[in-house]
Amino acid sequence: MKSFNRLSCINRQVFSGLLLGGSLIFNQSTLAASCCGGGGAATLVLPKFFDSMYDVSVGYEQYHGFWNQDGEHLNDPPGSDLNQFRITPGYAKRINDNWQASIVMPYVWNDNQYAGLSSNTNGLGDATLGFWYENFDDIKCVYAVNSIEDLTPAAYFGASLTVPTGVSPYDDVENSFDITGRGFYRLDANMLMDKTVFPWGLTLSFSYGVYLERDVNQEYGKYVEPYRRKLGNRASGSLGFSYSKTLEELDTLTYTITYAALKEDASTINGATDTTSGFDTQSVSIAVAYSTMAKDWIVRAAFNHLPTNDGLGSNFPATDTITIGVSYVIP
Amino acid sequence: MLYLRSLLLISVMFISACADVFDDINPSGTDKRGDFDSSTIGSHPGETAADFSVFDTLNNTFLMSAELVGADAIVVYFTMWCPVCDSHMTHMRTNIIPDYPNVKFYFIDYVSGLVSVARASQLDNGYGTSDVLVDDSNHTVTDLYNATMGTTIVIDSNTIVQMNEDYKDGSKLKEVLDALP
Repeated sequence: MKSFNRLSCINRQVFSGLLLGGSLIFNQSTLAASCCGGGGAATLVLPKFFDSMYDVSVGYEQYHGFWNQDGEHLNDPPGSDLNQFRITPGYAKRINDNWQASIVMPYVWNDNQYAGLSSNTNGLGDATLGFWYENFDDIKCVYAVNSIEDLTPAAYFGASLTVPTGVSPYDDVENSFDITGRGFYRLDANMLMDKTVFPWGLTLSFSYGVYLERDVNQEYGKYVEPYRRKLGNRASGSLGFSYSKTLEELDTLTYTITYAALKEDASTINGATDTTSGFDTQSVSIAVAYSTMAKDWIVRAAFNHLPTNDGLGSNFPATDTITIGVSYVIP
Repeated sequence: MLYLRSLLLISVMFISACADVFDDINPSGTDKRGDFDSSTIGSHPGETAADFSVFDTLNNTFLMSAELVGADAIVVYFTMWCPVCDSHMTHMRTNIIPDYPNVKFYFIDYVSGLVSVARASQLDNGYGTSDVLVDDSNHTVTDLYNATMGTTIVIDSNTIVQMNEDYKDGSKLKEVLDALP
């Protein structure tokens, strides 16, 4: 029984990294609005003790109005149907026992229908390069708490760089429907913590990102008087609870529910605050992940929902997102 | 390391296929605006504005040249009723419009195509008291001015285009309105 639980715990530890990475999807896909562009990507987390991982996820995001700056939820125009599809391949590689690196690069399709306008465009989204340091050397999943040490979580500390490979308003594009990226480099400091007392788990993530200021000399393909712009700093966090079930053949199924919040400060133009910018939002997501006993193939699905109540966001679109992902992990 | 190198190479080749993204990867602060004057009809600042006619959301005909009579200028903001648009329109309504009583301000819905749909969006979004125009389903005005979400155009009383760019924080619009001839 003990060895069975030990194996279950190892499986759960593998999952935890992937699910924690999944929780970041919300953080990174923000402003992926069909109206505003921005196909983001999550930072991959390679499971402990594994050498490398290939990952691909497919996302479908549907828009349900937006919150204005006062936090009032407003509907999209009558007859509109606004959607974004994303396919996000990624690769993670272990550098040494405690360090890992990853890259993800999404491809984005914007599909927007209004009563008097129809648009279908696609292009690269913004890519993300990530580095993680694992602040633990062994499995932190336990099946019973017998000492204070058993409460030690698995902690990851990392940094990521968002590279503006997507199409932004500052590229040579015709209109806002072509937009698939935000157009700015961003550096994030990331922290992930996971504690599992099998079969229950608690996950916590936090990120703080700083955009780099840049020159702008064109907007939607029209040259303008050059200026310098910097998007606002952003803070995000999530809290997730999970339950894992060991199946026959020691395959594992893990269910997770996560609450996440995100706030981005106002941007600046030539150093002056742009009071029309900045946003905040909250989301709830449920996810399920399946892993074979060998932990080489992992399949996951998630549904992310931004509740449309007044006061739960500002200056931000309300969306529902379905994501399905597959990972192939190499020992 | 071989994996990483291969991935990096593939990524660079992939990105290279999309030349547009280099505007973001290596941004330029060079002023590349051309020289335009009133001898040509066009949408660039300095050019003579092309006249246009559309309906407003109350089914009245709007003719640009007629609206300019007796006004210092007209301002037209292109909206698709999105969060960015709403922030801009709210800011304009609160911080710009009251300061320029002899300038006419309009929001133009370029996604609805129908007066009834545009009127519904106008009311849903709380702009019932604003003047809202409706671009036709051929997007005539949008194409005429190469406009998109957030584009703000200013046409002065001499029918010269004074501004045609994103609203951003409204400071450029204020600057242009303050400098009207």
